[in-house]
Order: sequence, then C-alpha cells, then structure tokens
Amino acid sequence: MIDVFSYVPAIVLLPFFSFLVALGAGKYLPKGGAFGGIAATAGSFLLSLWVLATVAGGQAANRTIYTWASAGGIGPTDVELTFGILVDPLSALMLVIVTLVALLVHVFSLGYMNDEGETGLPRYYAGLGLFTASMLGFVVADNLLMAFMFFELVGLCSYLLIGFHFREPGPPSAAKKAFLVTRFGDYFFLIGVVAVLATFGTAQFAGPESFPALAEAGEVAWTPGGLAVDTWFTIVGLLVLGGVVGKSAQFPLHTWLPDAMEGPTPVSALIHAATMVAAGVYLVARMYGFYALSPTALAVIAFIGGFTALFAATMGVVKDELKQVLAYSTISQYGYMMLALGAGGYVAAVFHLTTHAFFKALLFLGAGSVIIAMHHNEDMWDMGGLKSKLPVTYYTFLAGSLALAGIFPFAGFWSKDEILYEALVHAPGEPLLFGGYLMGLLAVPVTAFYTFRMVFLTFHGEPRSATARDPEPVRWNVKGPLTVLGSLAVVTGVINMVPVQKVLGIEGIDVLHRWLDNEWGGIEGLSSHHYADLGPYSSEYLVGGEVGTVLVGAAVSLGLALAGLGLAWRLYGVPSPTEHTAKLGGIKDVLYNNYYLDELQVWLAYRTEDVAGVANVFDQGIIDGVVNGVSSVSLFGGNRIRRLQSGVVSQYTALLTLGLVALVLVLGVTGGWFL
Amino acid sequence: MVNAPTAVTALLPVLLFALTGLALLLIDTIRPSGRSNTSMAVVSALGSLGALGATAWLVVSGTVGVDAGAVRLFADTIAVDTMALFFIAIFASVTALVVVAAHDYFHDHANPAAFYSLVLFATTGMALLAVANSLAVVFVALEMVSLPSYVLVAFLKQNRGSVEAGMKYFLVGALSSAIFLFGISLVYAATGSLLFGDVAEAVGSLDGLAGVAGLGIVMIVGGVAFKTASVPFHFWAPEAYEGAPAPVSAYLSSASKAAGFVVAFQLFTEAFPVGASVGANIDWVLAFGIIAAVTMTLGNFAAAVQEEVKRMLAYSSIGHAGYALIGLAALSAGGQANGTVMGAAMAHLLVYGFMNTGAFLFVAMAERWGVGRTFADYAGLARRAPVASTAMAVFMFSLAGLPPFAGFFSKYFLFQAAIDNGFVWLAALGAVNSVISLYYYSRVVKALFIDDPDSPSALDAIDVRPTALYAAVVFAAVATVLLLPGFGPVIETAEAAASALF
Repeated sequence: MIDVFSYVPAIVLLPFFSFLVALGAGKYLPKGGAFGGIAATAGSFLLSLWVLATVAGGQAANRTIYTWASAGGIGPTDVELTFGILVDPLSALMLVIVTLVALLVHVFSLGYMNDEGETGLPRYYAGLGLFTASMLGFVVADNLLMAFMFFELVGLCSYLLIGFHFREPGPPSAAKKAFLVTRFGDYFFLIGVVAVLATFGTAQFAGPESFPALAEAGEVAWTPGGLAVDTWFTIVGLLVLGGVVGKSAQFPLHTWLPDAMEGPTPVSALIHAATMVAAGVYLVARMYGFYALSPTALAVIAFIGGFTALFAATMGVVKDELKQVLAYSTISQYGYMMLALGAGGYVAAVFHLTTHAFFKALLFLGAGSVIIAMHHNEDMWDMGGLKSKLPVTYYTFLAGSLALAGIFPFAGFWSKDEILYEALVHAPGEPLLFGGYLMGLLAVPVTAFYTFRMVFLTFHGEPRSATARDPEPVRWNVKGPLTVLGSLAVVTGVINMVPVQKVLGIEGIDVLHRWLDNEWGGIEGLSSHHYADLGPYSSEYLVGGEVGTVLVGAAVSLGLALAGLGLAWRLYGVPSPTEHTAKLGGIKDVLYNNYYLDELQVWLAYRTEDVAGVANVFDQGIIDGVVNGVSSVSLFGGNRIRRLQSGVVSQYTALLTLGLVALVLVLGVTGGWFL
Repeated sequence: MVNAPTAVTALLPVLLFALTGLALLLIDTIRPSGRSNTSMAVVSALGSLGALGATAWLVVSGTVGVDAGAVRLFADTIAVDTMALFFIAIFASVTALVVVAAHDYFHDHANPAAFYSLVLFATTGMALLAVANSLAVVFVALEMVSLPSYVLVAFLKQNRGSVEAGMKYFLVGALSSAIFLFGISLVYAATGSLLFGDVAEAVGSLDGLAGVAGLGIVMIVGGVAFKTASVPFHFWAPEAYEGAPAPVSAYLSSASKAAGFVVAFQLFTEAFPVGASVGANIDWVLAFGIIAAVTMTLGNFAAAVQEEVKRMLAYSSIGHAGYALIGLAALSAGGQANGTVMGAAMAHLLVYGFMNTGAFLFVAMAERWGVGRTFADYAGLARRAPVASTAMAVFMFSLAGLPPFAGFFSKYFLFQAAIDNGFVWLAALGAVNSVISLYYYSRVVKALFIDDPDSPSALDAIDVRPTALYAAVVFAAVATVLLLPGFGPVIETAEAAASALF
C-alpha cells in the first residue's frame, strides 16, 4: 500500500518549486510563470484531497522528518529541534482549504494580473508560490518552532506581495506597516516559543511527549522564579497569543490589515482573507490542548475576539471603498473565531474558519472582478447597477454576502450561529466571556448592515459613473473561481448542521464535529472531546433546555441579521442612494478615522522614541564606551607589541630566554621544585 | 618483533611523502630536461594526495582505529594511532594545496624542483612527528621539519626580506632546538627512558627528581611553543611569514603549526599524562594556560594594528595557536571533557588548515598579480577578481568564527568544551579575542569589496589568471564551507581519537 503521508512534504514543496521556476525562469515562460503555479497548486490540492481521504480512512501521521539540532548532533543542547509533519483531521482539512483557495486564486490571477497587462509577473507568481509553500508548511508543522519559522515566512511573503506595486507610494508603505505591526506580535510569539522549549524541553504539538500533553500532566522541566505552574502557562499562552493577535489582525494589532489592501486583489483574497490571517486562529486551534488548561488565557482570547468583532464591524459601516469594507469585515470575522476559541468552541472556530475562507475569498475575488470591470476604481459611490452587467459576479457575490451576513441557510449562518451558541451556553459565571458574547451578538446586525450596504451600492440602483454604465467584461478565468467559491459559500454549512440535529434529532449530520472528534481516526489527545474535558467550561442552558437555547439563539442572531439587512435595504436599496453617514454626527468622524487608532499608534511610536533615546544614550555611552575602550586598549597594546618586534634577533633570543625562565619560575614556585 | 609488511602498511603515508620527495630529486637529477615546473608540481600533488588516500585507507580498512588501537613498531619508538592519522590528513591536504598554488607562484623561478622536494621532505618529517612514540624520534623528526623550513623561508635567494627572514628563523630555531633537546635530556635523566609509555610510568614515581623532570618538561613545552609559534617563542613567526614566499607562509602557518600541536598532544597525553604530572607537582597545564592566554591576546592585539595583510595574517596565525592551545590548557586531572576539548582543538586545526592556507594563498595570488601588500592596496580587488575575493571573504569570516562557516563551529566547540571542563576564563578570553579579530579580518573584506582603489589604473596589474592558484584558493574555500555540514563526522573522529589517549 502506498503511504500517502510520505507525499505530504511534496504538498509543501510543489508550490516551492513553482516559486523557484517563476523566480528563475518566469521571464521566459508564457504568462509569467502562471501555469507553473497553477499546476503546482493543483497538484498540491489533489494530494491534499488524497490525504483528507486517507485521514477519513482512519490514519494519521505525526512524524519527524529531519532533526537539525539535537544532543547527539551539532550543538550541545538537550532540546531536539526538528522538522516534521503532523497530519490529523484538523491539518488535513486546512490543507484542502489552503490548496483549493490558492489554486483558485492562481487561476483568477490570470484574469486580474495577466489580462490587465501588469508588469513584473514572475515576481508576482514567485511570491504566490512561496507564500503557498510557506502556508502549507505552517499547516503541517508538527512543532511550535517549525510553525514559527513558516509563520515568519508567510509574513515575509505578505510583505513582498502587498508591496508588489512598489513604484507607487501607497503599497511600499502599507507593506512596511504590515511587516512591522505583525512583527511586533511575533516578537512575543518568539519569546513564547523559547518559553515553551525551556519549560517543557519540547515544542511538539502531538503525542505523549508533546508540550500540551506534558502541560496536562503537569510535567514541567522549568518555570521562572518558582512561579506557579498555572500562572506560567497563562503567561506562555498569552505570549504566543501575541503572534496570533498580530497575524489574525485582532485588536489592537489589526491596523495593518486595511492598509494591506494596497496589494493586488487576488493577494488580498488569498493572504489577507482566507489563509495567512487564518494562521493565527489555526495556531490556537493547533495547540488548543495547551490553551484549554488556562481559563484566564481563554477568557482573554474570547474577550479580544468579541471586542474585535464588534469594533471592526462598526468601522466597516462607513467605508467607501469596496476592499476596505471587506478588510474590516475580515478583521471582524476573525474576531468571531477568536471568540469561539476562547469560549471553548473549538469545532465552531474551525467551522467558521472553513466557511469564512470560502466566502471571504469569494467576496474578495468578486471585488476583484468588480475592480476589473470598473478599471481599478474601488469607490462604491462610483458604482451602482452592475447587477445586470456582471451577472455571474453579482450572484456569486450575493451568495458570499448572504453567508457573511449570516442569513439562513448560507454557510456563514451555521458557523456564526454555532459560535454564538457556544459562547452563550458557556458564558454564565464568566464575565469576560459574557462580554465577548454580547459584543459578538451586537456585531451581527452591524455586519449584515455593512455587507448589504456594500451589495446595494455596488450592484443595485442606477449606475453612478460612466465606467459603471459600460464596465469591462470579465473572462472565464475570473468567473470560474467565482462559481466554485459561490457554490461552496452556499453549501459548506452542510458539513456541520448541529442545530438541526439538536432540534430535529437527526443523528449524524454534525460531520465536522465527528471529524474533529477523531471519529474517523486521528491522533490521541488532539480531539475536540479531549479539549472539552480539559477546558474550564460547563454548559448552562437558558430557556427550555438545549433545544430551546438552540432555537432562541438562532432566532435572535437571524433576527438581528435580518434587521441589519433590512436597514441597509431601506437606506441604500434605492435607485439613487445618498450618504447617510452625516446622521451619525460626531461618531462618523471617529469611525472614518478608525477610532484614531493609527494616530494612537503613531503617538505611541513617538513616545517609544523617547524611551529609545534613553536606550540610545545607554548604548552610545556605556556599551559603545566599553567597546571603544576595548578597541583602543587593543590598538594601544598592539602598537606596544609591534615595538617589541624590533627586528633584532638578539633581542628576540633574550626575550625568549627570559620568557622561558619566567615560566620555569612560575611552575617551580607553585610546584615547590626548589625546596 | 616488527612484522615488515605491517610496518610498511602502517607507515605508508609517511613513506609516500618520503618517496615522492626522493622521486622529485631523481627527476631533477637524471632528466634535467624534464624538470619543468609543471611536472614537479603534478608529481608532488599526486604524492600528497596518495598519502592522503593511504591515510584514509588505513582508517577505513580498520588497520588503525580507535578499536584496533595503535600500531606499534620498531621497539615502540613508533606508534601509528588515529590522532596521528588525523593530523597526517591535515598535512597532506595543506601540502597538496600549497604545491598546486606554488606552480603559479614559482612560474618564472630558475629551479623550482628544490622547492617541491623540500616541502615534501618537511612533510615527511611532520608525518614522522605525528607517529613518533619516543623522545629521540620526536627530536629527529622535529629537525627534519625545521631544516627544510629554514631553507624554504629563504627560498627567494635574491630577495633580501626572504633571506633575512630565513636567517632569523634559523637562529631562533637553533636556540629553541637546543632548549628542546636539553629538556629531553633532563627528562631522560629523571625518568631513565625515552619511550613515551616508560616516561609516563616514571613520572608517576619521581622520588625527589620532580624538579629535574619539571625543568625538562617546561623546556619541552618551549620546544613545542616554538613549533606552534606561541609566546614567547613566537618572535620568528611574523618575520618569517612575511618574508617567505606566500605559499611557504601558508605551509608553515598551517601544516608546521599543526605538526607542533600533534607532537604536543601526543607528548602531553602519553609521556606526561596530566594526572601523573600534576600529582608530581609539575603543573604544565598552568604553563599552557599562561601561554595560551598570552598568545591569543598578543596575536590578536598585534594583528589589529598591522598595515600589511600578510603580516596581519602572521599575527592572526599566532592568535589561532593560542586558541588551539586551549586543547592542552583546559585539561584537568580526571576531567570529564578532556577528550572533548582536545578533540575540539584538533577539529579547529583541521578547519584552520584549510581557511588559513587559503588566506595565505590569496596573498600569494596578490603577490603574483603584483598589487601591493597593504590593506589599501587590496582596495577594489573584488571588481577584477570576484571569485577569489569571495573566497577570501569566506576565509576571513571563517577565521573570525562567524556562522555559517566552519570556523564558527570549531571555535564554538572548543570554547564549549573548555567551559565543560571548568575553564570558563579561557573560553571568555577566547571569545573576547575573537571579537577583536573580527575587526581586522573584516578590514580585508571591506578593502576588497567596498573601498575604491586609489587610482583607476591600480588594478590593471591583474592581467594574469593563475589557474592553479585559483583552483587551490577556490578548493580551500569550498572545503571551508563544506566542513560546516561535514563537521559532525570531523568532530566525532577527533573526539574519539583524543579520548583514546586519556
């Protein structure tokens, strides 16, 4: 029998080869190396499907492939640093999502980049290839350090791709911002990795010797200064969370993501919606067994998530540019996933990650299609009436919007509902979690409102500009990916129909639940049940037991979503909509300016400069002083020695003999030879 | 009872060096017409590579190994062990590089044959030194290394610097040899034997003769210090390295220095074991500690203020002798990491053999081109000779001990092992010195790659492409880089070889 898991490295390496090919020979290839990328991601996708099928067949893999530092090898360390693969239901699912979206984005790029006559295509496809490879490497990583390395690589690719149009003023600046802000979070992540290695002596995710397992058993090799183990776990968890908050664009490190929309739209779809931003959430899910041990860390995650969900949604309400709305919506949706993770809803988070990956990639690609049609004008107030001109784009975009707004029966409804349900039943007695839940709930109508404001402004009403009256048509390479993702946005909810099961009592339709619970096989200790046992939460139902709570929860969130949709319809679903933002009064300015957070960060940066100034004085005065001192001493001493080397042999022999005598004296006196 | 075939087999590398040297003389004598520079270089390179192959074969076939133990010959005066073979491999590699490079360096010399045979005879002496197991053999072998070396330094007879350097080298060498020989006689007086094993036994029970033996051992330390160019016996080195033809400098600073170390390692583990010596109040570890500390500091301090690249390399070579001496200075009676620290020093010498030879050969190339000798004269060379300059940058960074080059790992292991054995101060001093060394090594790289030449025509001298020199430099650079992934086996072999002696 063929061992599919030995091909897992190929999933990662195929896009890497396409990167090399595009980089080295892209100039000479048709379409700037696009076909290589498509072939590679298609290959990876097929392999991932095969892996998924194998995992469904009851197999899993947790293998070390290469040990690059160990006690027996190079470096005198007791810690083994390795590369390996961990394929379980979670990573198999994620592999399929990433490769599928990457494949579709590659195809879409043919329409968005090649057909639009962009230059520098080999660089673009090389970036996409390297990104895909890094992301897949992150997904299959079997230990935290390897995950960190690939985490950094995806960050680098994100930087390169945001700054793709480096000759314009905006993109390089946005790329730098994205790089620096995420790096700020990654700094804590790195400390967290070191802390995990120091605490447990291993950074493995799975297996009896993995750090979640050791943490569960309380086998700790080291804690700093006799700190209580639980407190230390919380600190380590929050350190790693720093990287998560940066990468998944959570408050307060979310500011880079809206700026990252300066990158080409397919890049936004792949990196800043479906995959890289998901890396943070995925990481928490990957080491959920560790987080589950720390109620404080979970509560913080939940609160940050809920707050971000509401906070970002409110900013999305006033944006004029299509991609900006989507960017804030992305931040908000990842807030939901964090809320789910913090609320003990491991499956709900993965579920929303899956559905969101599809519908948000769809919305971005749809936006890309609109942008092509509008000759790269993104202002929604110049659009309108595109519905009849771009039917495929419209209907798929609508499907994605309904999913995003959480309207029954589209995919987003199921996943968002489950998140809110998990938060609700776990909330009693947990004030932070309850706060997160309330904010998550409040964000539902806001989400529906901004989503449909966007839909109505873009596609409905009368065309408000000449381009909108005569948009450029899009080709198959745009429509194809949209259709695939549109269908997925409609149906993905089917994989996890928990409410239906609970209400109607039909067993077995909560496929994702059973999938992540290792029902078809997986790795010991990495199942949702195990996590639930570890976690601090117990469920309490509000009204009418489980069924009642399910129904009430779903009804409330659906009702709120419909209310938001209705408001958007009333205000913007008219032939000639006008701006209503003035009604918001002073809040409008606050929202337009993103709560002045950018200004705050700049202010903070200047304040840091003062601290840096002190550090600079210390560095220049004391550190450099010591260094300069050493160097002047050595130069001075060197000159003396040079003078000693006079060139006169008789002096040499004299000094030589005197030196020998001195040695004899030292040894003789200490050894007592002359007694 | 010496079995003749065994003797021939075990001494095959040594014999190959000697036979190659003789063959060179033979060619030179009976076929003067055939004594072209090229054929001489080819024969010597083949001879050294053959010796390298024979060494490898001895290890692979298991004739000599950690398990098989040493092959002892001629009433125990010769002992071929793994450590000896390790060093013979270093000698053979350096010799091969040097003779290949010399082909271009001596392209217009009247009688290069003498050079090649002298190098081969000196190498024979080194190989004999590595396998010596008796103080008498050690002395004879040492002279076999020294005498050709004096001639080699003065090989450019018309060049005043070369002749003067040879003369100084000879005078300091004569004094050092005398001290060394006197030391041997004192040790003999105190212990009654010249064989390492018997000496070691006698050192354990000296009965009031500790002073005599101690004086003798310190004098032997002096002899070793001369060969390794350590303070205070280092005075010859800067001038000999600077005055000598650059390939000879490369040879002396790499191979000859390693020869000094192999004899030191053998002597101070087998003849004067650390436990017995310290027990007899002869604390030679302290002596080596002082020498190592002073040597590395002096070498690096002096290198920092040099204006000429070759002289800088000469002092840097003194500094590296200081690092390698840690292999002896960080030993302790019954220390757990004795084998590790000596093995790390051996590995450092192997890496050093490639990177230092390469650096001197780059200087040889610069001399061949006719650009000047100072840092300023090297300015902008990278534009005309990018490959060689890159190789030189590799050597410099590796010598400074920067990752990802092999010099980083060898130094790292050396310092780590010293710390493991309780000699934190030596490791700390070594680290500080490495930082200083980065200053003057990077000066070379800066000159090559960043500085502008004084005048646009300054680089016009580079119109020749010395192929063999290029090949040798590039090969040394490749070896320096490849020793990084290949460092695992090297350090394991070295540590096993060193541990076998404790």
